[in-house]
Amino acid sequence: MARPALRKTGAAERTAPRIAHLDRDRALVEAARRDPARFDALYRRYLAQVYSFAYYELGDHHAAEDATERTFLSALANLHRFEERARPADGEGASTFRVWLFRIARNAIAMQRRAERRRPTAPLEAAGIVADPLDVEGDAVRRDEGAAAWRAVGRLPSDRRRAVILRFVDEMTTAEIAGVMGRSEGAIRVLIHRALRAVARELRGRGR
Amino acid sequence: MTFLGRDAIEVDALVTDRYLESLLAGHAPATPPGRGAVALDEDVRIAADRLGRDLPRFHPSFRFEERLALRLAELAATLRLPAAAGAEGVVVPLGGVDPSAPFDPFLDDQAAPVTLPRPLLIGGAITSAALSIAGVAWVAWRRSHPGATPMARAVRALNAARTRFD
Repeated sequence: MARPALRKTGAAERTAPRIAHLDRDRALVEAARRDPARFDALYRRYLAQVYSFAYYELGDHHAAEDATERTFLSALANLHRFEERARPADGEGASTFRVWLFRIARNAIAMQRRAERRRPTAPLEAAGIVADPLDVEGDAVRRDEGAAAWRAVGRLPSDRRRAVILRFVDEMTTAEIAGVMGRSEGAIRVLIHRALRAVARELRGRGR
Repeated sequence: MTFLGRDAIEVDALVTDRYLESLLAGHAPATPPGRGAVALDEDVRIAADRLGRDLPRFHPSFRFEERLALRLAELAATLRLPAAAGAEGVVVPLGGVDPSAPFDPFLDDQAAPVTLPRPLLIGGAITSAALSIAGVAWVAWRRSHPGATPMARAVRALNAARTRFD
């Protein structure tokens, strides 16, 4: 995904080059910095991921759209502040573009959730898979299994659910999730492992 | 939790993480772990397989995607706008009292009159002078070219009669 390279990062470190993590989005980010209209490529690349993350977190399409919109507008407006640094495993404040974007998304989702508290909506398990218009003629058993997995994830505590969604839906690495959630890689690994055990218990309780 | 317990869950978590790496890369390992290696919990493996297979990724509507793309393009256009004429300059204080300096009410010196150097408004002076010259020229021209309206003729006649009787 990314390759380590020697480059200077930050004004304070101008005299001491350090190993940094060259993001796979580096070319796109630099192009967008030169010409903000080029941000469109980054937007198209991450729209579904950010939207999925927001939808799993908020359980409502409209709320997810609002959070997604806020995320990308904020990312574009603050792109000049993004600083490509070392991997999260390399130290505090490490970041890649996707981690940075998802941190913005996390804040946007938190804001949206605060707004939604004043206007309660249906829970996650009540939405989604059964309402997919493209799957009307799909396999009923498979849909039921999907709904069961969805329900099991929906019942996880929020930090475990978030880690699972980032891992399975957004296919992030453990290091990236650690960057997004502000925790160590080890903590994220344990979080996901425990989440999977809880999901296994839930599925086993349904007779798989 | 004991140290051993903590170690055990961390080792299990590491094994799970390696399995997920392979699973999400599209090739779950089929080979059993070697002797002495920690085996992946079967329930965890099944749960991971289910989530990897059944959790969908959602995409917003095309309408939303294009509407947001348009908003981003509008924002990008504003970010790309060049600075307004004159905005590239540097604001230089004219000296004397610095209005941005913090005011200390316990210092008497601040109440004393401050000798302010006369500010130079070069552009304004030129503009004022140009307006003044133009104004004088216009008045002179109007005096030499009296208007032809009835009111102007009446005023001129009255003025001439007054000077005659004086």
